[in-house]
Amino acid sequence: MYNYVGKSLPRQDGYDKVTGAGVFTHDVRLPDMLHAKVLRSPHAHARILSIDTSEALALEGVRAVVTWENSPRVLFNASDAHTGTMPPNKPVLDQYVFDNVVRYVGDEVAAVAALTPGLAEKACGLIKVEYEVLPAVFDPLEAMEEGAPDVHKTELKNTPVPPFQIAIGNFQEAYESSEYKVDVSMKVPVQKHAQLETNAAVADYRDGRLTVYSTTQSVHPTKQILALIMGMPESKVRVLNPPYVGGAFGVRCGLSAKAEPIAAILSRMANKPVRCVYDREEDFIASDSRHSGYLQAKLGADKDGVFQALEIRGVLNKGAYTSFGVEVVGVMCAMSLAIYRVPNVACHGRTVYTNVQAGGAMRGFGNPQGTAVVEMAVDAMAKKLNMDPKEIRLKNILEAGDPWCLPFMNSSTALAECIEKAAERIKWSEKRNAFKAGKIRRGVGLAVGNHVSNAWPFCVDFDSVYLRLEADGSLQLATGVPDIGQGSGTTLMQVAAEALGSEFETVAITFSDTETTPFDVGSHASRTLYAVGICILEAAKDLKRQVLEYTAAMWGARAEDLTLERGVIRGAGGETPLRELCREAHLLSKEFIAVGRTTPPNAPSWHAHAAEVEVDTETGMVRVVKYVAAHDCGTAVNPQIVEGQIEGGVAMGIGYALREEIVRDEEGVPYNNGYHKYMLATAGDMPEIEAIIVECSDGSGPFGAKGVGESAMVPSAPAILAAVEDAVGVRYGEMPLTPERVLNGLR
Amino acid sequence: MIKRIRFHLNGEKKEIEADVSLSLLDVLRDVLGMTGTKHGCGKGECGACTVIVNGKAVNSCLFPIMKAEGAEVLTVEGLQKGGELHPIQQAFIDKGAVQCGYCTPGMLLSAKALLDENPSPTRLEVKAAIGGNICRCTGYVKIEEAILSAAELIKEGR
Repeated sequence: MYNYVGKSLPRQDGYDKVTGAGVFTHDVRLPDMLHAKVLRSPHAHARILSIDTSEALALEGVRAVVTWENSPRVLFNASDAHTGTMPPNKPVLDQYVFDNVVRYVGDEVAAVAALTPGLAEKACGLIKVEYEVLPAVFDPLEAMEEGAPDVHKTELKNTPVPPFQIAIGNFQEAYESSEYKVDVSMKVPVQKHAQLETNAAVADYRDGRLTVYSTTQSVHPTKQILALIMGMPESKVRVLNPPYVGGAFGVRCGLSAKAEPIAAILSRMANKPVRCVYDREEDFIASDSRHSGYLQAKLGADKDGVFQALEIRGVLNKGAYTSFGVEVVGVMCAMSLAIYRVPNVACHGRTVYTNVQAGGAMRGFGNPQGTAVVEMAVDAMAKKLNMDPKEIRLKNILEAGDPWCLPFMNSSTALAECIEKAAERIKWSEKRNAFKAGKIRRGVGLAVGNHVSNAWPFCVDFDSVYLRLEADGSLQLATGVPDIGQGSGTTLMQVAAEALGSEFETVAITFSDTETTPFDVGSHASRTLYAVGICILEAAKDLKRQVLEYTAAMWGARAEDLTLERGVIRGAGGETPLRELCREAHLLSKEFIAVGRTTPPNAPSWHAHAAEVEVDTETGMVRVVKYVAAHDCGTAVNPQIVEGQIEGGVAMGIGYALREEIVRDEEGVPYNNGYHKYMLATAGDMPEIEAIIVECSDGSGPFGAKGVGESAMVPSAPAILAAVEDAVGVRYGEMPLTPERVLNGLR
Repeated sequence: MIKRIRFHLNGEKKEIEADVSLSLLDVLRDVLGMTGTKHGCGKGECGACTVIVNGKAVNSCLFPIMKAEGAEVLTVEGLQKGGELHPIQQAFIDKGAVQCGYCTPGMLLSAKALLDENPSPTRLEVKAAIGGNICRCTGYVKIEEAILSAAELIKEGR
């Protein structure tokens, strides 16, 4: 039994956020600050023949104008992949802050810093740009063809990194000889993060030092990218959240869509602080999206429904620039191959440049795409064998210790229990295959999967933390990891208090500031609690040893006979509050301070989702009636926070299946450039969501915890598609299930 | 054109000079420096900027400042009374309705406008009241629970 772990303690940032006192990047105001506005490309692909900024510069109140001609010619990658690509792969550095070629509608052409946002916008309108429009390509399959326009010059046509491949056993042979075979395909859409706080940065350059308040979800990697662009030592660049971030979901794993370098360059030019806040349309059209693309899965099974062979092939739309490239297809393939026990597996994943906004990290990071097509294949196989989709899954899912394609242990799983619980709560046996007739038809569906608890082995992943006892025994925790809303600030404090034996009430945290915290790769990959928590355990172990050895020396006792719990040291017949011990130590010139340094392993986080839907066969409208999400997240350090992650992930997954999509016209201009046109769900669109936590302690995580942040997004689309199939007998291969697509399928 | 405008903000008299083209949101954030009210889209599509004007929840980004003349305006900064959190604020913390927190001020004000008018709402009425407030983190589940719980707290006089 723990003192703080496993308890739904209130969030440490709750007060700040319900009173309006909490500061976000949008709220940062520095003295004498200027405002930036970006001029964006109206063309999907064009060469800039000339830019005339003289009229803009002449406008009263304009302080700086930057274009490709007067900005650093430094190639970089805007995402964490810049410094986090795992060797032997090399990061793809394929963009400048401004270039003389624009590669999608919305690409940055120039930026202005002026006394007011209105003046900056007016000045943007005065910049005269002469373009030579170039042929453009928007579909990745077309972009792979000979003769398609080159978005960038690459060895393999429009392909920034060699395709990701895995081969274990002999897929082809096993598939050919399987008694039952299915071969399914899917087309998946562009989904957008649509986080509430748009990408933004406030930069202050002076005297060779740069401070940037930013919406990034990875302050240390962002500092590294900025230092390279600005030609400055990393030590002179400070990047911080102020400290709150209005959601992220992957859109700023690295730069906040270039807001940081644009603000920084303008600040250096104007010698004043510069605020660069994107408006909602810019955020929709000119920041990373989830990769859209084409997927195929082939599954072979024997007559008993035991899987023999599985292959996934995917072509993802990279868009105009590489943020994460090989990493996303890696997760897409590897994680969706690591659900079932299949002796012969193969995958082939390719990302292809086109003239649309970049595909990048988004909650699930390739896994929602891969899982959607694998679960489609599993349902098709169940149908072919006339088996219950639930039973075929229970028969084939991996058990702990089973070999798989990943380079870490399948150390724990409660997936079977998750499946049983989700099925029970959705009333699977009663509702699946129930008789359907009439205009409105109901159905239930199930999907399962697995996700990571940090970014390794797909990206570089490590952290350090400081732990320090104040002279009154209270505990300071410093970590570079941002809290982008998921609650890691709170859960990490719970882990620290538990691990050291402090009183929770005396723990304070500083986070996501490169000046006050050691290196951390960032807040992504469902990693914050798992990876940073492991690091805190290391530091706490050291700090506790220091305290107990010091006490033992004072008492003439042995350190191993002493304990520290809830701020009290006991043992060897003695007892003293940590508060008094630290006070005494301070007077004897002693500080207790520890650094945790870890490279985390990884642990699988399992999930089973069940959905019940209602399909209106006349209008094509699909409504989710009830949704059950059962998650094996290891130990739930703060169950209320875990539930919040699950509920939010499900909402995003329902959107992926039914509503959310960015479409473009034939010129590559995006239609869905704001909340209304994107059809983002509001409260009335949400079904009853039941989050079920199935605890299954994993040996590697802090107090047995595993990741959960992304998981709920991963299997939700296939669960809904399966429910629609149960309702109307059609398995749709294209998302989202708009009424038009539904009706076309019914015809 | 600059004009003088008088209104009550969180119970206090305000007299300011502002450009007539500004929205109430611009005035709150950029003239008065009160950044608790958030800017999410500037088009009335997300509700992050919701405040209460004369008892009604409005999108302050679409509310011309000149229309605030003589009005009673309540923002998130005005919810606390004497250092005590309003029951809706407390319920948002207790029920886990806060994640990134960017939609929170607007949600709180939409909730307050609802509960002031309808102290015992159903879940559907809660959904309708926050229908103009977008949240990307929570799936709205715990926000709805918090508002329903706040209604109970208020009725119990806490």
